[in-house]
Amino acid sequence: MPEFTLTAEPPLMGLNETFGDMVLRAPADMAIVSIALPLGGEEAALKAIKAAYGVAMPEVGQMATSKGGETLMRMSMDQGFVVFTHPTPDANAIVNAKLKGKAYTTDQTDVWCALELSGATSRDALERICPLDLHDAGFAVGEAKRTMMEHLGTIIARTDTDTWLLMSGSSSAGSFLHAIETSIKNVS
Amino acid sequence: MSQSNRINGGLIDRSQTWDFTFNGKKMQGHPGDTLASALIANGQKLVGRSFKYHRPRGIFTAGSEEPNALVQLRAGAHQEPNTRATVAELFDGLTATSQNHRGPLEYDFMAVTDFLSPFLSAGFYYKTFMWPKAFWEKIYEPIIRSSAGLGSLSMKEDPDSYDKGFLHCDLLVIGAGPSGLSAALTAARSGARVILADEDFRPGGRLNSETLEVDGMSGSDWAAHTVAELSAMDNVRLMTRTTVYGAYDHGTYGALEKCTDHLASSGGKPRQILWRIYSKRAVLAAGATERPIAFGNNDRPGVMMASAVRTYVNRFGATPGQQVAVFTNNDDGWRTAKDLADKGVEVNAVIDTRNQPPVIEIPGARYHRDAKVRDTIGRKGIKAITLADDQVIPVDCLAVSGGWNPNVHLTCHQRGRPEWRDDINAFVPGGVLPVGMTVAGAANGQLSLASALQEGHDQAAAQLKDIGIKVAKAKLPQAEDEARESVAFWHVKESDKRAWVDLQNDVTVKDVKLANHEGFRSVELLKRYTTMGMATDQGKTSNISGLAILAEEAGKTIPEVGTTIFRPPYTPVPMGALGGRARGKDFRPYRLTPSHKWAEANGGSFVTVGNWMRAEWYTRGNEKGWRDSVDREVQMTRNSVGICDVTTLGKIDVQGKDAAAFLNKVYANGFAKLDVGKVRYGIMLREDGICYDDGTTARMSENHYVMTTTTANAVLVFRRMEFARQCLWPNMDVHLISTTDGWAQFAVAGPNARNLLRKVVDDEHDMSNEAFPFMACGEVTICGGMPARLFRISFSGELAYEIAVPARYGNSMMSVLNEAGAEFDACPYGTEALGVMRIEKGHAAGNELNGQTTAHNLGMGRMVSQKKECIGNVLSQRPELVRDDAIKLMGFKPVNPETKLIAGSHFINKGAEANMDNDQGWMTSVAYSPILGHSIGLGFIKSGDTRKGEIVRAVSPLHGTEMEVEICSAHFIDPEGERLRA
Repeated sequence: MPEFTLTAEPPLMGLNETFGDMVLRAPADMAIVSIALPLGGEEAALKAIKAAYGVAMPEVGQMATSKGGETLMRMSMDQGFVVFTHPTPDANAIVNAKLKGKAYTTDQTDVWCALELSGATSRDALERICPLDLHDAGFAVGEAKRTMMEHLGTIIARTDTDTWLLMSGSSSAGSFLHAIETSIKNVS
Repeated sequence: MSQSNRINGGLIDRSQTWDFTFNGKKMQGHPGDTLASALIANGQKLVGRSFKYHRPRGIFTAGSEEPNALVQLRAGAHQEPNTRATVAELFDGLTATSQNHRGPLEYDFMAVTDFLSPFLSAGFYYKTFMWPKAFWEKIYEPIIRSSAGLGSLSMKEDPDSYDKGFLHCDLLVIGAGPSGLSAALTAARSGARVILADEDFRPGGRLNSETLEVDGMSGSDWAAHTVAELSAMDNVRLMTRTTVYGAYDHGTYGALEKCTDHLASSGGKPRQILWRIYSKRAVLAAGATERPIAFGNNDRPGVMMASAVRTYVNRFGATPGQQVAVFTNNDDGWRTAKDLADKGVEVNAVIDTRNQPPVIEIPGARYHRDAKVRDTIGRKGIKAITLADDQVIPVDCLAVSGGWNPNVHLTCHQRGRPEWRDDINAFVPGGVLPVGMTVAGAANGQLSLASALQEGHDQAAAQLKDIGIKVAKAKLPQAEDEARESVAFWHVKESDKRAWVDLQNDVTVKDVKLANHEGFRSVELLKRYTTMGMATDQGKTSNISGLAILAEEAGKTIPEVGTTIFRPPYTPVPMGALGGRARGKDFRPYRLTPSHKWAEANGGSFVTVGNWMRAEWYTRGNEKGWRDSVDREVQMTRNSVGICDVTTLGKIDVQGKDAAAFLNKVYANGFAKLDVGKVRYGIMLREDGICYDDGTTARMSENHYVMTTTTANAVLVFRRMEFARQCLWPNMDVHLISTTDGWAQFAVAGPNARNLLRKVVDDEHDMSNEAFPFMACGEVTICGGMPARLFRISFSGELAYEIAVPARYGNSMMSVLNEAGAEFDACPYGTEALGVMRIEKGHAAGNELNGQTTAHNLGMGRMVSQKKECIGNVLSQRPELVRDDAIKLMGFKPVNPETKLIAGSHFINKGAEANMDNDQGWMTSVAYSPILGHSIGLGFIKSGDTRKGEIVRAVSPLHGTEMEVEICSAHFIDPEGERLRA
């Protein structure tokens, strides 16, 4: 039995708020691991990803979900994220093992904080903070894009018609939450 | 007085009556009124005093171009000065006060300046208040400012909130008048995503002010029908109370939406929203502004624009007068006479500068052809006019029409220059328009209703076609082309009284002539010299008249004179709206270290470092000041062990088969042969050879490196490395990703560092000096299996480690480390103690890597390898950068140990005069060393490495101090590095 134990305190832990028809919550135990495709080894890496998750790595800006519930998010030509529910700090080892060394992986779980905003008027709230076009024509369900919100680098993903996953730096989680909450309050 | 000038008709809701006050006087109005229309309905002619001469002024226009009727709205902290009454929507309980007068509005003490007007012509202040020079700022300017000016601020914090937002569309239609509605209808029916924005609360533009018909119904009804159709469509966003104020790059527009200005209370919601609109295409349908004619005393309350008189009568059911004359140089002015007469208002004269038969027969009005108004009578409200032939006609309102100026402003925001059209005597959009913008309707010189409707449709259709949207076929709205003939007529030469060109800035025809006479002949100079076209209205009613008079005086044509450049914003944008949410503590985002909560609970005092909040020290017990805490933290660390959260340092994960070769190119020193499990210190150069960042990189496995950067440069280093990876060496297999926020990292420093960590790190990891020596690194587990990274590196110069855990465990880790360290009397230390210890050790930081210094200056010149290709090594060898007498980083100690060194002091040799020629270098960092018991400093001094022991003077003219210092090694503590290798 070790003398000391560490407890996890993710910055937005347990957040779950309702504003009119909108719900803002912090997904629990969300693990994120980045996957980089080796130069010259892209094909092998993509094959390994397909084999590991049963779905192909999507195109840049798109998401794909595996049967096991893992989400693949392609952030650039040679980089993507795998997002899944996993409470312990060994997400990188798990993904690394699944890919059998065919890609470079980095644990990103604690780099990000995440908020899920859902509700019929969620787009009205996001309009106050997100420079991207959130209309169906510009942002379909299943897309994920990088942008800035209130000076903070953010990934915004549309997971359902009225549901958005927002990811930003974990160190500025408080400011990010404040920015999102303010946007919601200003329209609700 | 209760709405004595209210007449039948109009688009107001008479079923409700609202109370409001003006200068404390109770008045009434209706929903649909503006403050201006309600004041007119209540017979209030005098509404303010002019800027310079404190002349009585009334309402002049009915729109955002208003130069006169500026009022203060609301009270207390909500008070807003310089609001145009013509665009302020009435609400129940509104309070407004007039501005720029001393004493009551009716008896303004400062009106004496009007009698001094012969001395106060253009340039008066520049010519008069020349001497003595020192008086300008302290005496003259305050006096002038207090007597000339507009409204005043409440000097309280703005209690309202503001927001910003982003919108996207296929077609942005700016203005919801006839051409704008027509354009929006065409685009909307074709399925395009349309944003239709209008500054008014009621869309329709002039359709609401005229009696013209569209499709067999009144223009206002057609507008209402059209708006109803557009509002019901999902692909249309109709934005009323929204002014598109600026055209920016790539089809981006700025717009201000006034959300709650028309309500008594904002209800906690943002008062205004500043929108950024991204459009694929835009149609500018901003309409046109009627311009006045200058004649003697043309600024009296009751002298108004003819189109505004029509607006008040037709839209608001309020007549500005009971006995009205019309002075015009064009057909359009006649419609004012007709509409007034149709409403039963007496029109006793129409004065047309042209020698031609009447345009319309006006019952009861006498027609004066080829005639001019020379003067007016009535100080606080017009009572009569005098024609050029000396006829005097009693009036209580004079409606003036000098023709129409297309609102070209937004077409000029990217240096488009308007072109003159002789047939309408006005400037129309010209030159290069902002990308994606076309112009329709009156803004494009199509001044008749039928042509505006047609052009709105045509421009929208062309824009849609351009972006691949098929235009739906639909019947176009039908209207007649009304008579629009006009002549160029700018001012009445027979007037011997002052004739106002710019009412807001009190600029007269004489001032324009004087400017030309004194050599200010460019229109830009005219503007600056006379102030014409400045302030809240930006000369919307005055600019063209002013430059026409200048052209006439200079013997040039109007196009030769040209216009001044129109810049954003089109109408004023409050500072609060520009600031948006970025106020107070939300001015910028904050980044918190993982141990922030622990620090808060344990006496941490915080300092902002970039966006980070870092603990600068931790106050304990009865420590009275920061020095007590910092000195203690340094001593406890050097004596035993200290713990510091160093998470803020940038962390970059570098992976790939070519990672080693890549690092060897971005670092100036060698990185090709770093063993797995080892860390190396590295310096990075800019392309010009200047040193810009330093840090360590650890090789975790064959193809995996973890780099640290300085806190300040974390983003810059990452960006430059991405650039290098993607653009300089795209054939390298290298992948970067930031992990700064992902790992909570703590420095554990001091002789007991190893003993402390042994209690935390799991037993299977050998922590001995042999197994894990200085500059070792590795993956370890702690507290029973928690993954962690351990680096044996030292910024303090002590035996030290940095240990990293996933950030979510950071707060807990800080607690554990302190708990585990209790038996060693461990202490947490902040950035101040960290700074003291790195100065004692002679380590460079931001003060030394200030963007001017090289590795040669820092004493690390030999680290810059010339045997490899790396960023900056070639240019670092420029002769000037490697000269022998270059500045070198050295240590400095005061000759008198009681003296406190001052950072920023410059070094001067003993006996030399303290001037720039004798400058030897400067002190970069200073600290009080609790270990040495005196002040110490780092700094750069010429040939420093050969001058150890020399005494020089550290001079700080800013502080008025000078002291003798001895040049010494920068390594005050443990120069041989025995402690850190222990």
